Amino acid sequence: MEKLSEVKEGKYKIVEILKFGKLKKMSNLGIFPGDIIEVVKPTPGPVVIKKENITIGIGYGIAMDIIVEKVE
Amino acid sequence: MEEKLVAIAGNPNTGKTTIFNSLTGTRQKVGNWPGVTVEKKEGYYIYKGIKFNVVDLPGTYTLTGESEDQKIAIDFLIENKVDVLLLIVDASNLERNLHLLVLLSELHKNILIDLNMIDIAEKEGIEYDITHLEKLLKVKFVKTIGNRNIGIEELREQIYKESIESRSEIFTLNYGKEVEKIISEIENNLNKSTFYYPSRFLAIKILEKDEYFINLIKDKIEYEKISMSILNLEKILNNSTDRILIEKRYGIIHGIVREAIIEKKKELKFEITEKIDKVLTNNLIGPLIFLFIMFLIFNGIFTFGNPLNNFIELLLEKMRNSILMSNLPSYLKSLINDGIISGVGSVISFVPSIFLFFFFFSILEDTGYLARAVIVSDRLMHKIGLHGKSAIPLILGFGCNVPAIMGTRILENKKDKILTCLSIPFMSCSARLPVYILFAGIFFNNNQGAIIFSLYLLGIIVSLLTIKFWGSIVLKHVSTPLIIELPPFRTPYWKSVFIESWTRTKYFFKKAGTLIFLGSLILWLLSYFPNPENYGSEFNYIGKIGKIISPLFKYSGFNFWQAGVALISGIYAKELVVSTFGTLFGIKDLSNTLKIYFNTISAYSFMIMSLLYMPCLATFLTLRKEIGLKWTIISLFWTLFIGWLISTFFYQTLTFLIGS
Repeated sequence: MEKLSEVKEGKYKIVEILKFGKLKKMSNLGIFPGDIIEVVKPTPGPVVIKKENITIGIGYGIAMDIIVEKVE
Repeated sequence: MEEKLVAIAGNPNTGKTTIFNSLTGTRQKVGNWPGVTVEKKEGYYIYKGIKFNVVDLPGTYTLTGESEDQKIAIDFLIENKVDVLLLIVDASNLERNLHLLVLLSELHKNILIDLNMIDIAEKEGIEYDITHLEKLLKVKFVKTIGNRNIGIEELREQIYKESIESRSEIFTLNYGKEVEKIISEIENNLNKSTFYYPSRFLAIKILEKDEYFINLIKDKIEYEKISMSILNLEKILNNSTDRILIEKRYGIIHGIVREAIIEKKKELKFEITEKIDKVLTNNLIGPLIFLFIMFLIFNGIFTFGNPLNNFIELLLEKMRNSILMSNLPSYLKSLINDGIISGVGSVISFVPSIFLFFFFFSILEDTGYLARAVIVSDRLMHKIGLHGKSAIPLILGFGCNVPAIMGTRILENKKDKILTCLSIPFMSCSARLPVYILFAGIFFNNNQGAIIFSLYLLGIIVSLLTIKFWGSIVLKHVSTPLIIELPPFRTPYWKSVFIESWTRTKYFFKKAGTLIFLGSLILWLLSYFPNPENYGSEFNYIGKIGKIISPLFKYSGFNFWQAGVALISGIYAKELVVSTFGTLFGIKDLSNTLKIYFNTISAYSFMIMSLLYMPCLATFLTLRKEIGLKWTIISLFWTLFIGWLISTFFYQTLTFLIGS
């Protein structure tokens, strides 16, 4: 398991979003724990992730609290 | 005529504005929501003998009291008798969009759903059983493709139907036995006094731990008792109520959408958008593309705008001549020609450029590029201590500083806000464009686009340095992290882009027009008296004022009173810098006269000064409202100081290097 702020491009599963405020922000945009996402652009700078046709840019401060797992 | 009120709600990026534009056409106006500085759009259309007034609510994902935009939407639905609440839904993103439906249904009953961008959903292999959805959610659906104007007539018909028969029931989400029990307990408590909002809505907001609504009702109900019950429930369910509500909503919507999907191709891939995004947000190429696009836009404004501007000037010249030939008294001739036509007219001739700016900006917005620009700028903004969202007001500043400063309300952090506000006046607004167009046209014949671009760039650099400077001295803080949706790429709907840019141009000139008219009138009076025969000369009031301040600019290369007057009137409204030269030198020989007073270096130095010195009156007033008098005064002196410093430095260095 890794932080979203530290991974490379590729397919990942969101394991957990640590702070509730951040979980709320993410779920408002349609992203939930358990979702399979594609990291389009890793750090440095905001991480860009994609879930089906939802694409979201996430700053470092939020990305560091999103725990993901590599999916083959 | 009978009138009905339609409110449009929806997530951002669902094509809300396009639908609004398609429904109302050009019969619309932009303004502000009362008391706040969020843009409000209203319009109307007539269908089957009924006048439908349409209000475009701010785009939101949720309905909390904690954000200005969302509060506006909530209060509008409470305060007004809305006949039809039209919810625009992105068909390819149904699940997330229906979340807002659930929230809205707790507030308003007469909801109609516009399933927009149905073509994109179909392309992706998604199809819904609409009748099933209508049955489950108890609302009507209309399919549209906003950016191709498909389905708009059916939408009008359905709005008409909804408006004459009021809906008796709507989908109500059941949050489960325990939660529903506590909801009715809170409702009972709330019902002991009267509130503005429906009690179920308030009860749910309390469970959501929405601080705004809790503070609103805290003292009027037995809040202690309610908190205890909530705490008990949380212990039993081993989860916090706000979390339970969110999970419940999404769970149920997920189920409904799953049930209604007819066909979904096995593996959905969105490779093209992904590939484009990989390039556009790339840390190396991304910023280059961003710069290149900005460069293209400013070149475009110049290339397409110039012939049109010249055409308008030609018309004004004709007007001037016919006034001259007429038998009006000479003071009236002078007032009309030297005052009004020279002042107001010289600004009107820049309408095409302003329109083009808004036009290109709308395209960036509609294609979805703007959000990518935020990603690209975030890294840079982070280095200077802000996040990418501050880039949006800053970019807005290119249009007009006033909405840009208002736009800083999207920033949650007060210090972020002050820093962004301090730097916005350096973003070159469209009112400053006429100055560049005039001077670049006269002094930099072959490189006009590049010269104008360089000024915009200078503005950006100065504003970033401003943030860095004040951020590291007084306003030290940690900025809030960024989160932003990148909408799918779309071809813009040209009609909507046109309406959008036209409405904004109109609004801009209506606001600026009165100021410019008054300004031109005052300038004319000062130029005409006390010696009418020496119009606009140093013997009149205008020259005397100019002479007092012009020594200030001795080292910047424009030590003559006309420049002083132009800069003073520019504080009133930046457009007046050009029109003042028009009034003082006469618009006819303006370019030749300016060549006598300026050389290439001092012309550029003057452009730097016009770019950087003091925000205009309207900006000043907005700043005062947003960040208070102290910071506004700081901004005033800061801009003046920086403008003087850089233009002087530039003039002295280049004169030294090249020689005058």
